[in-house]
Amino acid sequence: MTTALAADPEPPRPRPRSRPQRLRRDAVRYRWLLLLMLPGALYFALFRFWPMYGARIAFKNYIPFLGIDGSEWVGLDHFQAFLSNPDFTRLLANTLIVAALSLFIAFPLTIVLALLLNELRLQILKRTVQTLVYIPHFLSWTVVVSITALLFAIGTGPLWTFLSDLFGTDANMLADPDWFRPLILMQMVWKDTGWGTIIFLAALAGVDQEQYEAAVIDGAGRWQRVRNITIPSIMPTIVVLLILHTGQILNTGFEQIYLMSNSLNRTVADVFDTYVYFAGIEQGAYSYSTAVGLFKALVGLVLIFGTNWLAKRFNQQGIF
Amino acid sequence: MFESKRIPLALAAAASLALTAACSDGGEGSGEPLESLTIMAPFFSAVPPEEDDPIDEALSELAGLDLSVQWVPNTDYGSKTNTVLAGDDIPDVMVIQGKDQSFVQTAEAGGFWDLTDHLASGDYPNLVTENAQVQEASSVNGKVYGVYRARDVIRTSVILRQDWLDNLGLAAPETTADLAEIARAFTEDDPDGNGQDDTYGLINPAWSGIGNGSPYDAIETWYGAGNLWRDEGGELAPAFTSDEWLQALQYERDLVSGGYVNPDYATMDPATWNEPFLNGKGGIIIDVQSRAVELAKLFKEQDPETYDRYVALVGQLDGPNGTYALPTAGYSGFLAIPRSGVQNEDQLEQVLTALNELNTTEAQNLMNHGIEGDNYSVVDGEAVFDPAKQDFTDQVTGAWAQLGTNLAGYNAYPIQQETEFDQALNQLRLDLQAEDVANAVYNPAAALVSPTYTTSGAQLDTIIADARIQYIAGQIDDAGLQAAIETWRSSGGDQVVEEMNDLYADLN
Repeated sequence: MTTALAADPEPPRPRPRSRPQRLRRDAVRYRWLLLLMLPGALYFALFRFWPMYGARIAFKNYIPFLGIDGSEWVGLDHFQAFLSNPDFTRLLANTLIVAALSLFIAFPLTIVLALLLNELRLQILKRTVQTLVYIPHFLSWTVVVSITALLFAIGTGPLWTFLSDLFGTDANMLADPDWFRPLILMQMVWKDTGWGTIIFLAALAGVDQEQYEAAVIDGAGRWQRVRNITIPSIMPTIVVLLILHTGQILNTGFEQIYLMSNSLNRTVADVFDTYVYFAGIEQGAYSYSTAVGLFKALVGLVLIFGTNWLAKRFNQQGIF
Repeated sequence: MFESKRIPLALAAAASLALTAACSDGGEGSGEPLESLTIMAPFFSAVPPEEDDPIDEALSELAGLDLSVQWVPNTDYGSKTNTVLAGDDIPDVMVIQGKDQSFVQTAEAGGFWDLTDHLASGDYPNLVTENAQVQEASSVNGKVYGVYRARDVIRTSVILRQDWLDNLGLAAPETTADLAEIARAFTEDDPDGNGQDDTYGLINPAWSGIGNGSPYDAIETWYGAGNLWRDEGGELAPAFTSDEWLQALQYERDLVSGGYVNPDYATMDPATWNEPFLNGKGGIIIDVQSRAVELAKLFKEQDPETYDRYVALVGQLDGPNGTYALPTAGYSGFLAIPRSGVQNEDQLEQVLTALNELNTTEAQNLMNHGIEGDNYSVVDGEAVFDPAKQDFTDQVTGAWAQLGTNLAGYNAYPIQQETEFDQALNQLRLDLQAEDVANAVYNPAAALVSPTYTTSGAQLDTIIADARIQYIAGQIDDAGLQAAIETWRSSGGDQVVEEMNDLYADLN
């Protein structure tokens, strides 16, 4: 993925001695590359860094009428209140469990599906299946949750009937805390597994076909080819996606989880995102919810660094 | 440009929420008299009214100011209020639906006009309340920041399948014990006579929060648990710490464990509340009286001939500890006047004069019925709607009516009832209201706003609301319920009780 910069066509000049001089020379020499970078830099400056100015309210007692500057500084009070909140451990645990489900079950399933699709020989079948598994991605969570509510309606839903026969239970699966995570996982898998295969299929298309031919001549079976050629070839892609995925994981749940939660399953359903919504938007506790949001960002950062570190330990390339 | 971007960006950081710019014009920023009046209000209709529709024009003429209403779908209204208050384009008049944190903080920081003296002065006769208790309940610790929107005080009722009662030879319930027996009979005694075990008694939908008119709240009040707060010898205590509350919960739990309640009571979408009743699956709904009218209307569509035999309506039920009725707060939010648009006393006087004009009988008719001679006509002093203009009528009743305050009395034409049954049902509602109001248990702390409750009230309420359902479902026992109340106390509940009592002492 590294790109060598174009070599300077002019003959080498004596090295400028001072730093500003060198900077100026580099800026002129790489002006087109810098220009290319500008939109991206602007995007980050405007939409990622500028809002941090507003994140100050996490350390203030923000009252809209007084404005950000007029509101009083309170230091780490909001963070303290959140960390000492009796809900805190529960929120953290729930968030991490949902994150783990997505990471350790939903994510590998994407790879499995991509591998399966890759093994399909009949192009028309492959294309059809691909299109069909992409469709759920385009449904909103509201629709997915409504479908779930119909399928799992107690006493009448077809999946409810099937599962209650299978497990010999007559629980209201939509409300039962034990069923909450399985349902969330099922929805995640159903909705986004197909969509997630796109990048893997692209990576799979890039695997050198000669390796397969050589392996066939050496008598490797299909399973051996997948294990020894396909998976090692797409490993870098898997690792990069895994790391990016970990950073996103705390952000994905809100709509789905908010819509799926109710009085009986809230003990397992509350996550940081729903909490921020509740405190910030429903109750107008801007400062407090900003503090919670910042804390969430911190957890995300730790997760990214953690995965990156792990990836390197297992001799894979990290993203930084 | 950047000056105006700043606060929305702060919000984006807080909630990644897109902010739509509110519109504000008129004399903003200057001390000049207002030329127009911008209002933010919720709407329930499918489509909001267009700018300068006939009602807008008629009301503008009455008010003497060009009205410009920013309509917000009711479901988004709470979050929209918070974002608008955090932005800097604030309308001249806002419907405030509840005393939540952003409103109270803004009001206490001086962001809204304190109207207590202006309303009491009598300068605006149509804005003088006919029910001082309700006005006080709408205040923030005695300070009135808005012109409240009056609502019926008694709405809670029990709605039953009259045909099922008749089939089983049962009388309408008078006590909570009667209700339990009917719920049992509706479940076990085959009330629809089809020979199958396919019915249940009570229909309860999923409900969040406490003390906001749920079937559970109603039963708890009937049991004598009070209404959110109880005055125990001058000291305020939360209703859910009383023995009566626990007793009511046991009653509710018995109904559920007996199978007399719909099995999906924890998840049923309240929007589908009518369906089991109409389809003959469940036979009892505890909700507002107007639902009985709604149900009768739906039965009429199915069965125009004999639709009058399906719906029975009764008021409060006597509990084992006495006779108590659950009233509403008597108001549904209020029209508050932010100081950012209305900057001096002269402008305030203009706005209040306009609101005064918007509460005349003529304005009430416009807001609640529409244009006389167009979408409705008056026959024998009663409003009769033109079915051909139903869409317009829906817009009026679903949107413009939201601007109505009616706090000095509601004098618009009564709506003509189509049939004798409708007429009788309407009369029954009025009779039940008159009867139950005598036993209404008011929330003694309605006017009080405790700082801790404003910051963490929703979480605190959720602890109790969830524990209540978990207890009823048998997920937790008495010890678990007490543990939840302990969690409530340690999460800030004790502080709320302390603050409420201080405020209570100050106010009384």
